[in-house]
Amino acid sequence: MEIPYTASVRPDTGVTNQKLGMWLFLASEVMLFGSLFSSYALLRSGATAWPDQSSIVNVRLAAINTVVLITSSVTIVRSGAALRSGNVARFRALLATTALLGIVFLAIKSIEYRGELTEGLRPSANNFVGLYFVMTFLHAVHVTGGVLVNLFLCGPGMTMNRRDAPRFLGRVEAATLYWNFIDVIWILMFIVLYVL
Amino acid sequence: MPRFYRIHTSLFRKYVFSLDHKIIGLQYALTSLIFLLIGFSLAVLFRWQLAYPGQPVPIVGNWFGELNAPGGVILPEFYNQLVAMHGTIMVFLAVVPLSVGAFGNYLIPLQIGAPDMAFPRLNMASYWAYLTGGVVMLVSFFVRGGAPNSGWTSYPPLADFATMGQTFWLTGMFLLIVSAMFGSVNTITTIVQLRAPGLTWFRLPFFVWAQLVTAFLLLLAFPPLQGAAILQFADRVLGTSFFLPSGLFVAGAAVTRAGGGNPLLWQHLFWFLAHPEVYVLILPAMGIVGEIIANNTRKPLWGYRVMVYAIVFLGFMSFIVWAHHMFLTGMGTVISAFFQTTTMIISVPSVIVLTALLLSLYGGSIRFNTPMLFALAFLPMFGIGGLSGLPLGLASSDIPLHDTMYVVGHFHYVVAPGTIFALFGGIYYWYPKITGRMMNEVLGWIHFAGSFICMNGILFPMLILGLGGVNRRLYDGGMQYALGQPLHSLQVGMSYAAWTLALFQVPFIWNVFASLKFGRVADANPWHATTLEWTAAPTPPIAHGNFETIPAVYRPAYEYSVPDAADDFLPQNSAGL
Repeated sequence: MEIPYTASVRPDTGVTNQKLGMWLFLASEVMLFGSLFSSYALLRSGATAWPDQSSIVNVRLAAINTVVLITSSVTIVRSGAALRSGNVARFRALLATTALLGIVFLAIKSIEYRGELTEGLRPSANNFVGLYFVMTFLHAVHVTGGVLVNLFLCGPGMTMNRRDAPRFLGRVEAATLYWNFIDVIWILMFIVLYVL
Repeated sequence: MPRFYRIHTSLFRKYVFSLDHKIIGLQYALTSLIFLLIGFSLAVLFRWQLAYPGQPVPIVGNWFGELNAPGGVILPEFYNQLVAMHGTIMVFLAVVPLSVGAFGNYLIPLQIGAPDMAFPRLNMASYWAYLTGGVVMLVSFFVRGGAPNSGWTSYPPLADFATMGQTFWLTGMFLLIVSAMFGSVNTITTIVQLRAPGLTWFRLPFFVWAQLVTAFLLLLAFPPLQGAAILQFADRVLGTSFFLPSGLFVAGAAVTRAGGGNPLLWQHLFWFLAHPEVYVLILPAMGIVGEIIANNTRKPLWGYRVMVYAIVFLGFMSFIVWAHHMFLTGMGTVISAFFQTTTMIISVPSVIVLTALLLSLYGGSIRFNTPMLFALAFLPMFGIGGLSGLPLGLASSDIPLHDTMYVVGHFHYVVAPGTIFALFGGIYYWYPKITGRMMNEVLGWIHFAGSFICMNGILFPMLILGLGGVNRRLYDGGMQYALGQPLHSLQVGMSYAAWTLALFQVPFIWNVFASLKFGRVADANPWHATTLEWTAAPTPPIAHGNFETIPAVYRPAYEYSVPDAADDFLPQNSAGL
């Protein structure tokens, strides 16, 4: 027996299983990142001295990375629109671009890490540097996961589009939600860890 | 038909990497019952040390090596490992997986008329993440320095400098929270999306409501501990000092870390998880008890709607009471006043549920079968657990009671004869559904009576010891203090009760296995219940899809003793009358 509402919308709730599941997952992610942001707030507000953040971390690279991620959010949304209008080639190109931008983000992030590590900066230096490494690394892990999902969806995962197009569209929409979520998290991190 | 929904003939796919919620539920059940036994065995072991401190443990004393128990005498460090792991295993590896992973997984799709959980593969992943986390926890016993020994709460700075086992604890906890997240996403989506036609929100069995609220708590309250575990992991492995204040001395030497951290941060993050966790432990139990009581009083639940509103309200409130675990930290009277107020408020919905269950008994013609005995025992036991919590929720009376045996007695009353009794009742109640055979009633009565008496024999003296001022973390049961010595005879009695309790689990274990073969064959609906798992799904259930056709639902969950009806129960899927 088939599981209902995997691809179709349940009339009285107005969502598919995929979409609801993704929103719930993101709610739990909000609590995960939220706990780290609150830890930041509590540690900083209780600290006798807090380093000048922008003099430690590389604001310029992070700004470029912010632009890269925001662009990738645009491309992933456009890719969904292309799929909905039936333009599979365009969908594929845009989603691959999104994944590529994700890889660019990770590359820039590792350049940033390498610069900091060669300068002798370690997480143990102080609580700001510790939180900077922990939070941005956790975010980078999330980006890596998103890149893998995007690559799957514009690569081997596409066979589903022929077999069960509505369900595939649901998957792409769920991946889009996730990707935009990690974009938002990055923007918050950029503000909190680099600018403030 | 999606590929994974083919009926798998390979034994591996069918029983090991199964996608069927019933098999996964049974995997959860078996694993968590084994963990329950392990966790209980640890308690049986350290109860010797509490009763006869410094004397070699008989029979098994020389199993633990010279490092842990030279000559069979349990060392304080080993005692700490036993207690920390008893707590961790019981809460995170036994009771939560049994009540949510096993009962939730097995029953929710059957009770709401769904062919499976919404995400079968996620369901499988959740079990395997849980099992991996559990194995990591157990492996910690065999690493250098032994298992985690900083208590189940893992407070820093102590935990930051504890032996390697603590890193395993953090890793295991991370995996368990991943598993809980997978499970709760799945549960909520299933309940919201896969209810059978006609099964509106207020026709849901109370059990399903309880699982829904529980899933929200798991989803939203557990990730902060994941964040905290990452931070403590960094403290231990990367040398950060998130939880280490400046100027800290450990073992007489100044700590060479950057400092500037805050040990209270851990406590906030931990209790932000661990107070909702208390309700994760109790809500599914309330759900099970509700099902059993309605069925065996042959009446609708008294105040079903009010009970639903109460547990939803309870779910919300459980997020803003956490710091009542921290009155002693000196966080200030204003914050204490806030949290003691919210704590008094949150006791109201629990009382509502308990009162509704109690009133449900009134005027009923009660069937005293084994599940009902456990459900009935749940009421006063949870009552003692809840009421003994009130003095702990008020800052002024909590301060002398904090970290005494009184606290231990309080939460054990809630979880042991509360939740675990409800889970036992649930096992007796749904066993015929799962296996098609009844469990033995006589053995069930023996199991119940013995457990009930012994459980109180262990737990009630804890309240007395605590009021007498005995601290909960003393490895000699309080003998090192003058105030503990006159009370120490209680420790001996409690230990004998614990060992007798172990004996009374033998008929249960025998009953579970022997009834598979020798139990009386059950018909499809042996308890004459109204909910879909009995009335619409075949007994024992069919492998894939649960139902031959998805049932339609016409009425609320507990239509017992309806006047003019032919039987004293009207199944949810019966259209007539």
